[in-house]
Amino acid sequence: MKRGVWFGLSIMVLIVLATVVLLPPPAQMSGGHIGLLMLSLVVVAIMLGFPTAFTLMGMGMIFAWLAYRSQNPDLAVQQTLDLMVQRTYGVMANDVLISIPLFVFMGYLVERANLIEKLFKSLHLAMARVPGSLAVATLVTCAIFATATGIVGAVVTLMGLLALPAMLRAGYDVKLAAGVITAGGCLGILIPPSVMLIVYGATAGVSVVQLYAGAFFPGIMLACLYIAYVMIVAKLKPGLAPPLPMAERVVPLPPLAQSLDGGHGRNALLGLVGALKGRDRAGTRSVLGQLAIALLPTLAFAAVMSLTWHLATKPVIEESTAGLVEMGTDLNAAADEPKDAGGVQEPSSDLQEPPGTDKAAAGDLQEPPGTVKEVVPAAPELKAAVPAVPAAPVADAERRAMPLWLWIMLGVSGAALLAFYAILNFSRLEIFKMLLASFFPLVVLIIAVLGTIVFGLATPTEAAAIGSLGGFVLAAAYLLAARPREYVRGVLKQWATPWALFGVTVVWFVLHKLEVVTPEVPQWLGTLSMAAIAVWCVMAVFQARLGQTLKESVFLTAKTSAMVCWLFVGSSIFSAAFALLGGQQLIEQWVLSMDLTPIQFMILSQAIIFLLGWPLEWTEIIVIFMPIFIPLLPHFNIDPLFFGLLVALNLQTAFLSPPVAMAAFYLKGVSPPHVTLNQIFLGMLPFMGIQIIAIVLLYMFPQIGLWLPQTLYK
Amino acid sequence: MKKTLLFIDKLSTWVGQAFAWAIVALTLLISYEVFSRYVLSDPHSWTFDVMIMLYGTLFMMAGAYTLAKNGHVRGDVLYGFFPPRVQAGLDLTLYLVFFVPGVIALAYAGYAFALDSWRIMEHSSTTADGPPLYPFKTIIPLAGALIFLQGLVEIARCVICLKLGNWPSREADVEEVDVDKLKQMVHVKDEDIAALDKLVVAQEQAGGKA
Repeated sequence: MKRGVWFGLSIMVLIVLATVVLLPPPAQMSGGHIGLLMLSLVVVAIMLGFPTAFTLMGMGMIFAWLAYRSQNPDLAVQQTLDLMVQRTYGVMANDVLISIPLFVFMGYLVERANLIEKLFKSLHLAMARVPGSLAVATLVTCAIFATATGIVGAVVTLMGLLALPAMLRAGYDVKLAAGVITAGGCLGILIPPSVMLIVYGATAGVSVVQLYAGAFFPGIMLACLYIAYVMIVAKLKPGLAPPLPMAERVVPLPPLAQSLDGGHGRNALLGLVGALKGRDRAGTRSVLGQLAIALLPTLAFAAVMSLTWHLATKPVIEESTAGLVEMGTDLNAAADEPKDAGGVQEPSSDLQEPPGTDKAAAGDLQEPPGTVKEVVPAAPELKAAVPAVPAAPVADAERRAMPLWLWIMLGVSGAALLAFYAILNFSRLEIFKMLLASFFPLVVLIIAVLGTIVFGLATPTEAAAIGSLGGFVLAAAYLLAARPREYVRGVLKQWATPWALFGVTVVWFVLHKLEVVTPEVPQWLGTLSMAAIAVWCVMAVFQARLGQTLKESVFLTAKTSAMVCWLFVGSSIFSAAFALLGGQQLIEQWVLSMDLTPIQFMILSQAIIFLLGWPLEWTEIIVIFMPIFIPLLPHFNIDPLFFGLLVALNLQTAFLSPPVAMAAFYLKGVSPPHVTLNQIFLGMLPFMGIQIIAIVLLYMFPQIGLWLPQTLYK
Repeated sequence: MKKTLLFIDKLSTWVGQAFAWAIVALTLLISYEVFSRYVLSDPHSWTFDVMIMLYGTLFMMAGAYTLAKNGHVRGDVLYGFFPPRVQAGLDLTLYLVFFVPGVIALAYAGYAFALDSWRIMEHSSTTADGPPLYPFKTIIPLAGALIFLQGLVEIARCVICLKLGNWPSREADVEEVDVDKLKQMVHVKDEDIAALDKLVVAQEQAGGKA
């Protein structure tokens, strides 16, 4: 405690001393020097603990007035007022920042869905054989949960309650356990969709989409480095992270599985198929249910592979007049084709598709009769999304040969599938079911949100809104699952109809977009399913008792958004004043006069940001200091996108650097009294080292971050 | 006096919480628009402006609520270590130096800004027939006034703290990291943590011997 005070005070004294030494005496001060004075004053003022948004606003106002007064004293007050209100309005109408409340809302909903306990349990059972399994499971849980929620404090606290006891009981070293939890909890601010990248994007004028695409692999890399470190430690020093005792690995089996298993780890698939015979109806039904779950991966595999095949071998459409003449022959050729591509699971369904994308000619003929009626009137009024509707497209309706990568993909995933079934015994099936109930929904949510953004299917704002809705659905499902069984069953029956309707629409839409199904989703079906989901939302609030959760999430979202966005209001007034005073120019001159190489500049800037991470929070660093750094980047030919990725990695360390690391205090708050802050800090050190390694790696191989955005957006 | 302060506190909270529900409207509006645009091929041009307005209104009107719940980010390096009287003294000074002039200026400038907009009945120019902007711009002076009032309450809190030597309590509200609630959520009891302590002590002793 005393140390913290001395630490903070000495930083403040240092800043004040540096200002006094470096700045010329007041008589010779230019506007730029006043700007620098303002910058050092604001750091001191922030450290005094006053709400930063208003420190920035007040200081920005005073200095903007000074700047204007030096130009024209009569207009100064009016100009200052105009500046303030214009800047505020700019933040209010900012179309980048708008996704912050939406992502925050999604995070709170997912957090309150209360699936972290299941997630951790299923992951640590699934990884029982991996060295340091509990620590690895903790890291993976943290990475996924923190990515979906983005709330460092809550993730660290929850994992401190769940994983720390589990690890301590298994004989893990306190320091290692603490380090894993704190480092893992902070992953959420780097791995997209993270609020930090939105704030950086809004400040630096870099596209959030590109930042998300760029931060994806560095985030995964950091998580993998953590996991690798833990596994190596567990291998080299088993005393620090002993393997799980056998008793902890046993998965309790439900009665049906127990009777089928017979106690010697039979293959689940064979066991289930064998059990289909000679049972009463209820027995058969429950066996069939288990079988259906066990076959889910096969279904997913078949669906993905056949869609990929469809897209990869889709005929190339060329503008050619000969197409009309040769149409008949091509149709025959197309019908023959699927036989050649025999490796695919469902060739029969492909036979029904029209060759090419010709809607008017072939589509109506081959569609099932029921849908034709709706399609015909709908087609003219909806402008078709597929541009190739007019006569020409069927020129080359022959399917292309299957590319090599598809064969490889088919082979590899097929082998993986076989291996999965070969080792699938009943306890693994239980683990698989647990994963299905906790791990997959979250991963699907993250991938859906991130995928649509990165592949340009939706803007971050749109994806964030859909993500929030997804969070709502998750919360509804998990809160419902906590209610009595009979009640759940009754409610699920009511939920089935709207979701079936909605599912049909979405599947239809996706298939239409992938050009498997030609007609668009009929208007009436779309409207109906939308209404059904709206009704469901209202129903769910009452049936799953979501009211309290929703209310809390809404209020928390308001507070967090207000915190970030008011900070933006303050900082945009402040940085305007800084620019007006000419502080920016002075810094530019100064940096350029040092004649740095890009590498030196990069190291210098990252070191400054790292040092700032001690006294300040990441929000403050980004909104106050990025406007100063970003204009310098062109001089050194540095991509602001790349710089942003480095900054994001760098600011991770700010969460872990003692003595002000937030994560450590959250963990301390829920750990046993004898776990000291010092132990937690010591545990975090290796992970800080890994972060620095990650920064160096990213700097040496920029392609880790830049490959995805460059591939996607060129 | 005390009644007035409490009333302002409640008012900020109430207004902030009422406008907080804009996030639900925002989520539903965008989801609706996404569905309508992509699945039904029926985009609406007005949604962009309405989205922006919902977001701007949400965070501006929640500013005073956040202040009332001490939710605005503050540098915690030193502040947390100070005794309450020092904290209150610093806060009081900085409220008077930065907050009061800044927020009054913002509210006043916002008033003129909104007045201009009302005078010409300004509409958004994002699309040809954009929705009216003047109610949205009115949010600035409103939010400014509300946050100023809440600031007065905070100043009063500082004065009380300077007199009594400890901070007057705030009304409880949902917190981001509510340890008790999280414990309940994952079924962990304090006894469990206490029992765990023995393991830590045992490890320390083993480590000390080795």
